[in-house]
Amino acid sequence: MRYRVTHKTEYEYTEIVGQSYNEARLLPRLCYHQNIISTHLEISPREADYRIREDFFGNQVAYFSVPEPHREFSVTAISEIQIFSSAQQLNFAEGASWETVKETLEKDRRREIQDARQYTLDSPFIEITPSLTAYAKTSFTIGRPLLEAVHELMERIYRDFIFDPEFTTLATPLTDVLEHRRGVCQDFAHLAIGSIRSQGLAARYVSGYIETLPAPGKEKLVGSDASHAWFSVYLPEVGWMDFDPTNNQVPSDQHITIAWGRDYGDVTPLKGVIFGGHNHELKVSVEVERLGH
Amino acid sequence: MKPQSITETQFQSYPSNVNSYDEMLDGNGQVRPHWAYLMHALNELGTEEVTLRHKESLKLLRENGVTYNVYGDPNGTNRPWKLDPVPLPISGDEWVGIEAGLLQRAELLNLILTDLYGPRELIRKGLLPMELVYNHGGFLRACDQIRLNGRHQLVLYAADLARGPDQKMWVLGDRTQAPSGSGYALENRLAMSRVLPTLLRNAQVHRLEPFFQSLRAGLNAIAPDQTDVPRVAVLTPGPFNETFFEHAYLASHLGYPLVQGDDLTVRDGHVWLKSLTGLQRVDVILRRVDDNYCDPLELREDSRLGVPGLLEVARRGNVAIANPLGSSILENPGIQPFLPGIAQHFLGQSLKLPSIATWWCGQPRELEYVISNIHQLVIKPIYRKPGVRSVFGHLLSKQELSEWRARIRANPAFFVGQEHESFSTVPSLVGNGYEPRQTLLRCFLVARAEGYTVMPGGLTRSAPEKGDIPISNQMGGISKDTWVIASEPQHVPTSNKPEHVGDSNPNHNNALPSRAADNIFWVGRYAERAEGSIRLLRATIKKLYINPDRDNPIYEDSLHSLLRGVTNLTGTWPGFFSEDPEVMLQSPDKELLSVVLNEQRSGSIANSLRCLVQSGFAVRDLWSSDTWRVMDEMEDHLNRSQPHDEGTLWHMQDHLDHLITTLCAFSGLVMENMTRGNGWLFLDIGRRLERSLLLISTLRTAFSVRQNDAVETQLIESLLDTSDNTICYRQHYRNYFELPSFLELLLLDTNNPRSLAYQIASLQEHVAKLPHTRHGLRLSGEERLMLEASSILSLANLDDFLVVSKDNIRENLDQQLSRLYYLLSTLSETITADYFRHGSSPQPL
Repeated sequence: MRYRVTHKTEYEYTEIVGQSYNEARLLPRLCYHQNIISTHLEISPREADYRIREDFFGNQVAYFSVPEPHREFSVTAISEIQIFSSAQQLNFAEGASWETVKETLEKDRRREIQDARQYTLDSPFIEITPSLTAYAKTSFTIGRPLLEAVHELMERIYRDFIFDPEFTTLATPLTDVLEHRRGVCQDFAHLAIGSIRSQGLAARYVSGYIETLPAPGKEKLVGSDASHAWFSVYLPEVGWMDFDPTNNQVPSDQHITIAWGRDYGDVTPLKGVIFGGHNHELKVSVEVERLGH
Repeated sequence: MKPQSITETQFQSYPSNVNSYDEMLDGNGQVRPHWAYLMHALNELGTEEVTLRHKESLKLLRENGVTYNVYGDPNGTNRPWKLDPVPLPISGDEWVGIEAGLLQRAELLNLILTDLYGPRELIRKGLLPMELVYNHGGFLRACDQIRLNGRHQLVLYAADLARGPDQKMWVLGDRTQAPSGSGYALENRLAMSRVLPTLLRNAQVHRLEPFFQSLRAGLNAIAPDQTDVPRVAVLTPGPFNETFFEHAYLASHLGYPLVQGDDLTVRDGHVWLKSLTGLQRVDVILRRVDDNYCDPLELREDSRLGVPGLLEVARRGNVAIANPLGSSILENPGIQPFLPGIAQHFLGQSLKLPSIATWWCGQPRELEYVISNIHQLVIKPIYRKPGVRSVFGHLLSKQELSEWRARIRANPAFFVGQEHESFSTVPSLVGNGYEPRQTLLRCFLVARAEGYTVMPGGLTRSAPEKGDIPISNQMGGISKDTWVIASEPQHVPTSNKPEHVGDSNPNHNNALPSRAADNIFWVGRYAERAEGSIRLLRATIKKLYINPDRDNPIYEDSLHSLLRGVTNLTGTWPGFFSEDPEVMLQSPDKELLSVVLNEQRSGSIANSLRCLVQSGFAVRDLWSSDTWRVMDEMEDHLNRSQPHDEGTLWHMQDHLDHLITTLCAFSGLVMENMTRGNGWLFLDIGRRLERSLLLISTLRTAFSVRQNDAVETQLIESLLDTSDNTICYRQHYRNYFELPSFLELLLLDTNNPRSLAYQIASLQEHVAKLPHTRHGLRLSGEERLMLEASSILSLANLDDFLVVSKDNIRENLDQQLSRLYYLLSTLSETITADYFRHGSSPQPL
């Protein structure tokens, strides 16, 4: 499937911003199930010092500064992406048990497995607590195949939690999300990742977009889509498998990956430091257009 | 020299059988050979004399402003540096071994650092556990794959050593991100060489200065562009940092500008210093800010100490930071048990200097060992965070021990257990004798292109009390000079010419950061404000106490005028303009005392002096040591005069006289000793500007409204006294005090250094020298303001000044003074806008 994604972020400040320094993780990375046909940023006012690099996790990072004074600032990422739907029909009830995977992660010295092992550790947004471990335990029963356990965990999160954009902010700790059973896609991804890590397994955070199909008989609304987040779990010999707890779905060809990392903090779409500005108003819009096969 | 027996000396009370190893005495109570000379000499001097010399050294350190923690912070204790008069001598033979061990360890840590931010082979090969590195807050993923020029990533290194009961030197810890202490070591040496010069010379002690030459060379070697002499800056968190003294001291000793985060800016992929003369490129940063705080864009976004974009410039190889960001990963004590294996892997050698036994709890066996032996171990987190301290197992209660066990089990990878050793003792002067104290030695290394150099000496710190207790500056440790004894006499080189490799960039060194200029300007203003206020206060007290004539309305009116003048001049409103001024004017002592002493009150003398000292401290690196001594004295005086507010006004006179003398000493030193660069220019502009504003304010308060002639005569007398102009006036105008002559002397006389005309003339000269971007022949904003001020005075007519309106007001005088006041205040604002703009502070998007 081919898509065009337009992700626009606009800031309007109450006072002049003298200059700003920014880092954007808005350019989608190449991965086995997606091909990047084109991608670029449009920045206003004109940027300086623009450079793209790969970060620690292999994501594309654009660095730039805005040297001239401004009251409005916008960054638009426009990308055309080809998604290959995963042909593999995995039977979740088969495959290695989660205990076996845990042991492999601990002992196997192969490079790929060593690389995956870093995603078993706590990270700034995800700290393992006893309540998180207890929540996970229901799904990770003795000898259960890893994918089956994770699949059930995803279903439980979807069932147990209410999608509520009013409840959480970026600063809401995971324990609050768990206690009040409310949150948004970021929280659900963090919750799943923390649950999986509490069992000594490797899970990472994926940021990207999802195509939302219009309701039958209605025009698809431009800008109604938002940036999205889900998680990925590591299974030796197979690799990283994505799960979307917000939609209770195993992503196939409607999820577009931008970046991944230990948690949200590693993949913040747009970071910056400004001089001046005082208060601001922020508008974010994402448009995912299907271009055909 | 034959070894002495302990009983012959004044060390006889020194316990000859201490439990652990003693550095001075061997097991038989005999003085070790490398101590013999030192002991003999101290013995000859006698403890009384040593105590005197010790006091002298402390005074020197104090006067040089050597402090450890927060300076002038009313909440923090102002802790002067402590130095024990007994140094720690280390024999040349032993030093050879220590030096070799330190060189090996530095090379090893350098290879580890290079690997961890490069291929991470050590983790893949299992020589370092992944959890130990990836869980550590000092492992900065944003710094991955960044490399400095040359072979060395670890440019500066310090190791804490101590001697265990087995007589071996052990490494207790590694300081790898911004090691502090080398500047204090140098200050200790300077103090010792002043108070015990012969002793130091005859003991053949290695000099420390070559180490600082190596530091310069090492910083030059990592510069991105090797074709030109690099521009180096010292980055400090600012005057509230605990080791700010050392930052300023090193900057001035090495000849580099001292900067804070917002003195620097990132443009066009480079780092620039915001100097008075515009942006100047910076090639190398000697960093004393913790790495996490250096760039709010990529590291801690709440940091106000960093430079946004700095990391990207380092990544592009356009600035070299020493030590590089991310190097605090090596301060992880959990690495210690893995060092022998890594040394074999990288160097094919075993460690020459062992690390203290350490167990990282991230491994099952080690975890169990620590849990079972916790009561005799030291427990440390692998990452130092504020509020997280090492704990000594033997000091914990049963309850606390089990809490710690649970804490470790919950997060084993975050903790290590370390052996708790009794370290060797060294004699320290305590009271009238010497007592053994446990001691730590911090050694310093710097990488030059060809390899590491060790400072022959270091910073020795000893425990403030007997027994096994943690030693740190925070907890009141006492420092000692460290003497590495050479086999032959040490010659002081006759030429001061630095080695070529240690050259610093002369253009860069003249660069005055805008913030420094701002601080200097305010030093000038506060110094003058304090002096002007004190002079008026003094005249007022005199009037109040010498021949008071409180039934005489003439006396009363002139006194009231003076009192109101005090309020106006100091800006301590409402003061004598309060709603019910009668009571206050009747008994003004309380209000006047408050204007002198109440530091919380903006405009009070104490407040101006405090601001003066704080602004001065922020540019500590720019003052000569004599100037600094005077500033220090000022603060000392300020602190001593604070607590007892009950002193009477009359007794305040001594205090005020003393302050005037100190302030005059300060101005004198600045006039005589400061080079006439931009720094001096801003200082003197600040001074002249403030003096003008004070004078105008005083004259307007006293003479805008015409009073009885006799009252005005008394006022003139007091104000002449205030401006130290009485004698001058008498020479010119005899003994008759009258307003026209007075105004001529204080407003228009260009030869009187206290007159307004004199200040304006100086300001006019100064502003012409400010670094302007010229637009043809047009005058700058500052020049225009001063041209108008100067014209007003040139065209002024004394007779017009004296014309009194119907409602008894000298309108012309008042208007002209008011216009001048406006021009001068505008000058201050214009200078601030043109030269001191630091911009607003950065905030996250």
